[in-house]
Amino acid sequence: MSVLSDVLRGTDVAILAYFLVLNSFYALLLILSVPEIWEQSRLAEDEDFQRLMQSDALPPITILVPAYNESATIEASVTAILTLEYRNFEVIVVNDGSKDDTMERLRHAFDLVEVPRTYPETIPSAPQRAVYRSRTRTRLTVIDKENGGKADSLNAAINASRFPLVIAVDADTLIEPDALLRLTRPFLLGRRIAAVGGTVRVANSCTVRDGRVTDARVPRRFLPGIQVVEYLRAFLFGRLGWNRLGGSLVISGAFGLFRKEYLLAIGGYRLESIVEDMDLVVRLHRYLRQRKIPYEISFIPDPVAWTEVPESGRILGRQRERWHRGLIAAMWQYKTMLFNPRYGRVGLLAVPFFTLGEMLAPLVELLGYVVTIVGLAYGIINVSFALLFLVVAWGYGMLLSLWAVGLEEASFRRYRRVGDLSLLLLYATLETFGYRQRTVWWRLKSFGTVWRRRQVWGEMVRKGFAAPR
Amino acid sequence: MTSRQFLIILVAVQATLLVALVILIILNRWIRQRRRLRVHPQRVLVDAVFQRWALGQAWPAEVLEGLGRLPVPLAIEALVTWSARVATEGWQELSRALEQQWWARVVRANYRSIRWWKRLECARFLSVAATPRDVSRVLRLLRDRHPAVQLSAVTTLERVESAVLVRSALEQLPHLGPTVQAYYASMLKKSRKAVVQHLLHLLRRLNDPTLPRIMEFAARLEDPALREPFTTHTTHPDPEVRTQVARALGHYPHRESTAALGVLVQDDTWTVRAQAVRSLGMIADPATLPLVRDAMRDAEWWVRLRAGLALIRFGPAGRNALLESEVGAHAEARDMAHLILGLSQQALAEYAA
Repeated sequence: MSVLSDVLRGTDVAILAYFLVLNSFYALLLILSVPEIWEQSRLAEDEDFQRLMQSDALPPITILVPAYNESATIEASVTAILTLEYRNFEVIVVNDGSKDDTMERLRHAFDLVEVPRTYPETIPSAPQRAVYRSRTRTRLTVIDKENGGKADSLNAAINASRFPLVIAVDADTLIEPDALLRLTRPFLLGRRIAAVGGTVRVANSCTVRDGRVTDARVPRRFLPGIQVVEYLRAFLFGRLGWNRLGGSLVISGAFGLFRKEYLLAIGGYRLESIVEDMDLVVRLHRYLRQRKIPYEISFIPDPVAWTEVPESGRILGRQRERWHRGLIAAMWQYKTMLFNPRYGRVGLLAVPFFTLGEMLAPLVELLGYVVTIVGLAYGIINVSFALLFLVVAWGYGMLLSLWAVGLEEASFRRYRRVGDLSLLLLYATLETFGYRQRTVWWRLKSFGTVWRRRQVWGEMVRKGFAAPR
Repeated sequence: MTSRQFLIILVAVQATLLVALVILIILNRWIRQRRRLRVHPQRVLVDAVFQRWALGQAWPAEVLEGLGRLPVPLAIEALVTWSARVATEGWQELSRALEQQWWARVVRANYRSIRWWKRLECARFLSVAATPRDVSRVLRLLRDRHPAVQLSAVTTLERVESAVLVRSALEQLPHLGPTVQAYYASMLKKSRKAVVQHLLHLLRRLNDPTLPRIMEFAARLEDPALREPFTTHTTHPDPEVRTQVARALGHYPHRESTAALGVLVQDDTWTVRAQAVRSLGMIADPATLPLVRDAMRDAEWWVRLRAGLALIRFGPAGRNALLESEVGAHAEARDMAHLILGLSQQALAEYAA
């Protein structure tokens, strides 16, 4: 009994220490996000978009749109992308051997005509069936290829791109008209940007007109609604905080702008990766640090893209399980960067945080629950102490979510209605009770999958965007 | 202190913070909405006055009065918005009148503020409302340590002609990133006379490491006075300079240009050859057709692509050369000719760009 007691107490202290260190780091991110969001919103307010639009200084951009079974949304999203407010861009849609009528829809909607291929295959990709140009939209190129996965499609599109900056956009993502202009701000400020990401927001329940979100709403359904808060937290304080620490490891695959020369240098997207965006960013860091090339991988909050999030627990669970599996795979793949001073802040701060904090957090949380239950059962842990600890842990999570809502309110205020603000506050408060435990379970499952070395992709069922009411 | 007491303190702090945060969020929303309700009608009013003034139905004094009632950031916003819609002379008159306004004086004085956002506000204001008396302020803002301030300050060149400002901006130009460089270049183009004068001086610096960037900008101007300095750099030891020469000469259809391009098309560096072939296509002098046809057999894919595209610009003679290449003995030239002849007009135009 005394051995069990010692083990439990020891584990308890270790978990408490882990909890303190991790949450202190979150507190640091939280504090750093404040000056960052303030500076970014000042710059955004003072930007003269009219003048920028007329200037020929803006760097030309290639928009890469991988599409697999996107029949429901492809026409609307490509149309919206083609009407972005930007002077010099091209759009390359890659139909990744869709089983539905995605290709037919594209052909019909944009009057496609087959053209010969006029570029070298710098990054190997799956065989291409044909390359098309649109007769009605001169900026549009469509590549029809054999199925090879999202990473393979992006590589095919990078090969075909003509411009020095490329942005990967999911076909189900709606980009705000001025988002590209805003994304180029760090380039205009002369920063040595290797990659820059914008904010992804939840489009469920929003009114969409002509491929644009015209009225931002917070979903009344619990699951998508709570994801609004999750996205705000991930983008508005997590990534902004990392900006100041100089080690952002995630640029969203749904909305990230990259310098093409670097993508080509690292061989594009890795086909084996489960979460291709994180893998790509970590490899970029590694490549640029190893060669001592000065660079920044940054996040700016005001360019916005909207995406549809899962509304059912089953699909959401699969998505989260895959994300976490991708995190485990990436951290394992690049374990040599862990605490490696050669990689500067990335090796000493970002990779340890993502490995020990983000990756192991569900395991530690599970261990915490187990220890508490066993400790309570054997009377080793005091009931009131356990409850107090639980209140502190949950209260902290609530505080972080409310902080993210606060940052949104102090800066961009996309949700204009008082009702939506109330919902945000409600979801931020409720997230800790039940939903958080479910995400822990989904993330725990990923360890099991990794253990069994399975690579299963969850399929996202899309409803398409709501028509204006 | 026991761990229990520590946790109790944490719970108390958290609870206080949570409540405070919720109150702050709600209060922030309420205050902003009230302010918006107060300020928005004033902004609409100023827009209406601007509109009438632009149509000659109102006096500048009315505009100034309206602007004076707005919060400073909104007044600057209105000025920036309307500056693009009002004729230059009228705008200059307004800029002069603004010098007497108390709020404009405060904004001007911020050019040496220790807070970057105040300097940015000042630079933004001066970018549309500067007068010749503001040159020293703009000069300081051009050399500001915050890039956003520099960027706003350089926009002043659109409205104020000053050799001092031009010189300062031109000297910064080669040290800037490509996008900022392009932005500076687009602003400098407006002061063409002063810029060309200073460029003639800069292009004489043979061993200046910034020469390629200066040449890149000079090429964008396409000014006839700059052709001669370009041709004198044909044999410059730095391949990047030769690439810029090859790129620029395409804009100068002159026999000296084609002579220089004839040399550059046989350069050891493929980027120089590719640009030279492209420029020969832009000039399309029939005498240079054999040079371009030979470039179809270049070892480098990009040079062959540029040669193929250039041949199209030579008209029927170039097309015949492509058809010959398509059935010729050189396998790579054959592939390239096949590719080029299969391109649509639109694709050709896009590649030529």
